[in-house]
Amino acid sequence: MVGSSEPAVFAEHLVKRFGERRVVDGVDLSVPRGAIYGVLGPNGAGKTTTLRTLLGIIEPDEGHRSILGHAAPREASDRVGYLPEERGLYPSMKARDAIAFMGALRGLDRRTGRARAAEMMEAAGLGHAIDEKIKKLSKGMAQLVQLLGSVVHRPDLLVLDEPFSGLDPVNQEKLESLILAERDRGATVLFSTHIMAHAERVCDRLAIIAGGKRRFEGTVDAARGTLPSQVRYLPTHPDAAIAEVLPHDAMRDGDGWRFQLPGEGIEGLLGTLIARGYGIGGLSIERPSLHDAFVRIVGRDAANQPGADQPNGGAAA
Amino acid sequence: MTNLARTLRQALTIARRDFIATVFTPIFLLFLFAPVIMGSFGAIGGMGAASVADGRADKTRMVAILSPDQARVMTDADDRLRDVFRRDEEAPPALATLTPSGDTAAQARAAFESKDYEASAVLYGPLDRPQILYGPRGKRAADYLGVLAQETLTADKLGSVVPRVVATKTPLERQSGSAGNRRQSASFAVFGVFLLNLFLASQVVGTMAEERNNKVIEVLAAAVPLESVFLGKLLGMFGVALLFVGFWGTIIAKLGSFLPADVARALAIQTAVGTPVFVALFVTYFTMAYLLLGSAFLVVGAQASTPREIQMLALPISVLQMGMLALALAGTANPTGWIATVAELFPLSSPFAMAGRAATSPTIWPHLAAIAWQLLWVTIFITLGARLFRRGVLQSGSARPFWRRAKAN
Repeated sequence: MVGSSEPAVFAEHLVKRFGERRVVDGVDLSVPRGAIYGVLGPNGAGKTTTLRTLLGIIEPDEGHRSILGHAAPREASDRVGYLPEERGLYPSMKARDAIAFMGALRGLDRRTGRARAAEMMEAAGLGHAIDEKIKKLSKGMAQLVQLLGSVVHRPDLLVLDEPFSGLDPVNQEKLESLILAERDRGATVLFSTHIMAHAERVCDRLAIIAGGKRRFEGTVDAARGTLPSQVRYLPTHPDAAIAEVLPHDAMRDGDGWRFQLPGEGIEGLLGTLIARGYGIGGLSIERPSLHDAFVRIVGRDAANQPGADQPNGGAAA
Repeated sequence: MTNLARTLRQALTIARRDFIATVFTPIFLLFLFAPVIMGSFGAIGGMGAASVADGRADKTRMVAILSPDQARVMTDADDRLRDVFRRDEEAPPALATLTPSGDTAAQARAAFESKDYEASAVLYGPLDRPQILYGPRGKRAADYLGVLAQETLTADKLGSVVPRVVATKTPLERQSGSAGNRRQSASFAVFGVFLLNLFLASQVVGTMAEERNNKVIEVLAAAVPLESVFLGKLLGMFGVALLFVGFWGTIIAKLGSFLPADVARALAIQTAVGTPVFVALFVTYFTMAYLLLGSAFLVVGAQASTPREIQMLALPISVLQMGMLALALAGTANPTGWIATVAELFPLSSPFAMAGRAATSPTIWPHLAAIAWQLLWVTIFITLGARLFRRGVLQSGSARPFWRRAKAN
């Protein structure tokens, strides 16, 4: 059993090459137990390959990793749930059997798996499809079935690769709830995404990967903190001379001005503006979004890299 | 849970899925009854061929040109000797006699042109120095006519027809099979194992294609080692094979109980290790051949990425199987020769050759060694296959060999 202080997932200088290309290039990760941890990155950043390497689906060329305290990920496989980016189920299997089968692969006995599958499908609003074959389900429903299959054995670590892709907004919300519920149950959730809004809402910590390298690791707040807040100021008595009082980076923004929040704070500046008679017609301090921070950290060029996560023709990328 | 227990549990989970997915489909019935379909076509073809042969046999005659008295004696001799031939196809053509008229040599040649019958051989001239002409496939009939001439001449000299001797015949079973019987049993064993595997082991080739096409492979690869996936696939299809063999084995065993005693005796196998041990070894070597060939085919098939590529593999696979059969059969012809040793040692032919050996040699320990040897190769194939699959399909070839990775871990 893993001690509570030991990270659920740990990686040190993880390297994976496809040919000459270093798709994962020295990534370090430490996912605390019980946390929801996001791996963010643009398309082709190496997120999927990082997750696959962590899970032992593929072997790293360099570096070390451990999953739930096991250096060999296979040894912990019964306590891990995984939803790959490219969803895959046997089309001729019934939904309930598919979930039970995925549980059985992770050591859950079939009878319990089938019983839990029925309960979970009812709870997820899929009760009518329990005995439907997968090929009869819509894509979204099949995706939900696969997600239930990845948690049916109640894993200690849930790894989701781009779980929100392909889901409609309602199902995206359901998925967010499920992720939070898994965390509340005590599981650690590690998921990759390139959609910032989800990460911003549910992640306790995150890593930003681009070009196979980890560019940032920390909390969502810390990521947003890599950019200064923006001040929007609207004077009551505008005057061209006001530019001499405002910070050097101040730019016109409609009738007002926009500039970075000064390091020493806004109070002194406001006192000066009032004293000089410009007045305060409007003032807002806007914290940067995770999206802004992501773009700054990753850089616009990295966001447009070709698919580095394309390791095969048959399995997930 | 130990690694072995976990591997087996995971493999059996996959095997169960594959077994159910294969057996509970309408297509499986077609597969199960394929021998009936094949047998039906064979029977229809055989009946057609037999009908053609019967039509030809009905009109075929061997002809003797001799006096009426001699003709009567020869006909009696023919009736007596014909009892020797138990099966119609072994018997010579019916005898027709002609009274000599003029040039008997010309008459004999003319008999081959007759529209009333098809002469296979014609005898003419004095019985102590008969002349026999024969056409294509008439050599046996010519020989038989020579024997009839001898019998007729003997009876003629004795002044009467040779009396019939009625012998009392009592079948006696050997306590131990002859070398010939054992060799025959060895060939049966080799061919039996081959035939079952020809039908069944090649089914494994395309089994990984489903997972690749449905993208299920990553779910499996994340949950269980690829070695377990491969073993599970192999065991699942082996379950299907056992169902097939069990089904047909039961039917054939039931049909066997209705066979006449002498036919059953003729079909009975005589082996050096004794029937119970031989049956056990036969089943074991069928299993080993299935696992060996199946794992080899699974490995090769897993590298194919399209149904077309899988279909293309059918020919080399059949050639490989035929090659193993030929090697093993060559070994049974000379069980102590070097070819037999090669066949017993080469992993893919070893189960066939050792099944043959069970019929010819009573020593048991080589079988235990061979089974261990074959299991080792099954493990090697599966491990190698998983590595190739990981490298080729999941593109995860590690830059470091496994011993260095183990050290690093």
